[in-house]
This record gives sequence, C-alpha cells and structure tokens, in this order.
Amino acid sequence: MEILLEIKNLMVFFENALALNDLSLEIPTNEIVGVLGSNSAGKTTLMNTVSGLIIDMKKKEDRRGGERINVLGEIRFEGEDITNIKPSERVKRGIVLSRERHPIFKDSDVLENLKIAGYLRKGKEIKEGIDFAFNLFPALPELKKRKAGLLSGGEQQMLSIGMALVAKPRLLLMDEPLLGLSPFLQAKLAKSIKGILEQGITVLVTEQFARPLIPVIHRGYVIENGMLVFSGTREELSDNPEVKSAYLGV
Amino acid sequence: MSTLIYGTITSIVLALYTLGFSLTYGISGLANFAHGALYILSGFIAWSFINQAGFPFFLSALLAILISGLIGFAFYWVLLLRIRGIALSELIVTFAAGIAILELLTWRGFYGIQYSLPLFLRGGIEIKGVAVDYQRLFVIGTGIFLLILLYLFVHHTKIGLAFRGIAQNERTALSLGIESDWIGALSLAFGSALAAVAAIVILPMGIMESTIGYNVLIYALTVAIVGGLESTSGMIVASFIIGFGQVVTARYIGAQWMIIVPLSAIILVLAIRPSGLFGKFKELEERV
Repeated sequence: MEILLEIKNLMVFFENALALNDLSLEIPTNEIVGVLGSNSAGKTTLMNTVSGLIIDMKKKEDRRGGERINVLGEIRFEGEDITNIKPSERVKRGIVLSRERHPIFKDSDVLENLKIAGYLRKGKEIKEGIDFAFNLFPALPELKKRKAGLLSGGEQQMLSIGMALVAKPRLLLMDEPLLGLSPFLQAKLAKSIKGILEQGITVLVTEQFARPLIPVIHRGYVIENGMLVFSGTREELSDNPEVKSAYLGV
Repeated sequence: MSTLIYGTITSIVLALYTLGFSLTYGISGLANFAHGALYILSGFIAWSFINQAGFPFFLSALLAILISGLIGFAFYWVLLLRIRGIALSELIVTFAAGIAILELLTWRGFYGIQYSLPLFLRGGIEIKGVAVDYQRLFVIGTGIFLLILLYLFVHHTKIGLAFRGIAQNERTALSLGIESDWIGALSLAFGSALAAVAAIVILPMGIMESTIGYNVLIYALTVAIVGGLESTSGMIVASFIIGFGQVVTARYIGAQWMIIVPLSAIILVLAIRPSGLFGKFKELEERV
C-alpha cells in the first residue's frame, strides 16, 4: 500500500486552545479516506493545515498582532515534508481543497469560476478539467452562463468540487461536501466522489453525518476534540457501535 | 450641445482619475491614498524623460507608465505587505507616502509654467457650433478604450481572472493556488500604471504642479465613494453624475461653485446610501 499523504503528530494551537492534538494519519494512494467528527472536532482545521491555508491565516494574524497560530508535527506528501510549504506550492503539487459550505465566486458565472480555478494550469489542462467537471456533474454545462451566486446549494457544491478538479488535484481534500444537501443530493454526490477516484484522484473527505459517505470510503478516521479516537476500514467503522450511534444515526 | 460635449469630457476625465484607484480597491480592498501623488509623479517622470533625457514623447510616456507601475508594485511589497489587512495603518501609510511624494516634488521645485506635457494631437474641430480641441476628444477615446481593454483583460486573461477571484473570495482563491499578496502587489502596480496613463493624456491640457495630486485624490475618492468603492459600473455612473453636475453648475450658476457638486454628492450618498450607488451593503452582510 503506497502512502500519498502522511500526517505525523500534528498539533495546531489557536492561542492556547489545542485544535488538533497529536494527530497522525495516513492516506494511501487511490483510496477515498473519510475523517468523521462532530462540530469543533477539528475537521476544518485539519483540511486547512493539509492544504496550507493555515500558513496564510497565521501570516495574516501575525501581521495584525492577532491570534497566535502554531503548527507542530509533520505533513509529508509523497514522502516529502510539506509542513511549511505555502498553499500555492501545494496546489502545484496536486493538493487541492474544496472548502466547506461551497464558497464559490458568486459574481462570476459558472464557466468563469472554473476558469479562475485553473490559474496554475495550462490552457489545455483547464479545458480537460472543465470537461471532466461537466461530465461528472451533467447539470453544470447548461448552467455555465449563470451567475454562481444564483445557483442552488447543491449546484454550488457541484461547482465548488468542479473548481477543485480544474486545479488538477492528485489529492482532493473535501471539507464537509454533503453539508446542507438533501438526502437525494447527498447520495448523488457520494457517487460522484467514486467517479473522482476512478480518474486516479485520491480523496480525503470530512463529514459529520457519515451514512451517505460510508458506502464509498475505503477507510476512515474518527476525531473528537482534535484527537484521533478510532480508525479502521469501512467495515470496521460500520461495525463499531459508537461510530454507528454517533455518525451513522443508527 | 456644449454641455453635452464638455460634460462628457469632464466625466471621462473623472473616470480616468478614478480607474486605477477603483481597480486596486476592487481587487485587494486597499484604498491607495497615494493615487493622486502617483498620478502627478508620472507626469513629472514623463516630463523629465522628454526635457532632461531628450527621449521622444511616446517612449517617455511608456517609461513613465512602466515606472509608475513598478513604484506601485514596490510600494506594496516594501511598505504595505507588513500591514495588510489593518485598514487604519494602510490609510496612514498610503496617505503619508502620497504627501511625501507631493512635498518632495514641491521641494525639488516642480512647479511653474515650464512644466507641461506636449499634446498628442494639435488643433480642433467644431461640433454643431461647439469648438473642441483634438486632445479633449483623445481623452474621450482613451477613456473608452481603457475601459474596454480593462474589461477584456479582467475577463479573459489568467491574471485578470485571478484578480476577480481574489476580489470575490480571497480564501477560496488561495485554496486554488492564487497568491493574495502577489495579486495585491499586481493590483497596486496596475492601479498606479492606470494613474500614469490618465496623467499622460490629461496633463497636456494644462500646467503641471504638485498640488494637482491632492485634487486628483479628492476626485477619485469622491467618484469611488459615490459610485460604490468596488464597482466599476458605479464608478462610471458616478463620473457622469459629477462630471455633468460640474459642467451644468459652471454654466448656469458659476464656475466657483463647481466644487460644491462632488462635496454635495458625497454628503447625499453617505446620508442616503452609504455603500454608494452600486456598492454592496458589505457592512450589512458582515453583521448578518
């Protein structure tokens, strides 16, 4: 099993509050890995740390003398230490984040959103990425001239993932992609995540309510208060009574 | 007819004053209070190339635009980068830099009748009985050309699209690999270069002196506030409201009352619609 992303003893402090506490996980190549956790478990902090957004947050807080953010531990991508690498460099290497609550570019139309997402890619790659996004989400092509701010929540989520795909990820980070969607759309989107994997893109996805996600993930980690409390394969997660009651609603 | 022609010219002049200021603010949220100083500095740079280095006018103009852009870029990278996001500090630093540039120009003796840029086009025509010189028509043409060029640049180039991304949602743009500081520096470089373009086409219509920098800043601020700070269409509409307001005032009330127009426009807009005619109610959004 080849490991694409390895997180070792990751600790993230916001002032003295510990958002991630000695977290270690491994993301194998060509797998869908889920991270389950309730509100404030540290899922978004984890995604921001892996994508490098936390480096920018830290820089901005330091500039204005605001909250002190500290990141300790190690993140390795394909064996290389990327802990202190800036977000744009991580995107170049193929780590792309689709943020929670699908924050797209609302004043731009759908096509322009996708083009903006291809900032670091060449013209041909952008076209391929847009084609892929349109194939994966057949509702998007007919909306391509519509202002993104006028799309429904589900359409915005599709667009947000489509944008991440145009950035040509090798590891796609999806922060709560199912949040706020109807059960029908959740199931549809979960199926699309499988379609993403079929293109050779490894996926790390976080969720609070895991039932629609469980059928598509290969393995999962459960975090609470920034700490790892359980990890295992899809079957092991499904069979664990605590996971079942807390995240599967069973 | 005279009101129509000169109202249009005044409006386009105001739009040219504001274009760079509005572009920088729209992308990076940075209100560059040194905008007026960069405008007049570009004029003096062009003048120096023509009169001291003996360069031809077009080369001097190009160099002035390029240098102004580089000054804007360096200004961001050296001074503003450390205080980005702290609105009050940004205001103080840009305002102080603007004053420093203008006072330096005054101290170096850049005032007097000898400081003027050559006209692009000499002569004029009569339009329905109204005499208009070619340079003023050239200003209209440049204004329209720049607006079209800017639209195409912003919507059809990678850097332009990155500008739009950062302007709309900085963190999402970052997560897609767009660097906000790089784009912020570029936005100030473009804004400063646009100030230089405005200077090159407008300054030949009069004598150059450092105090013009203050006036340009006041007009740019007025138009941007009235139109809505981050809105290009608002900026254009506000330019025409204030431009025509000024020409009508000068014609029917008296030229000494022209300054009342921008001031009353600011007061009215701040009282009725504080985010500007086309501005978004950001303060409301933030509260929600």
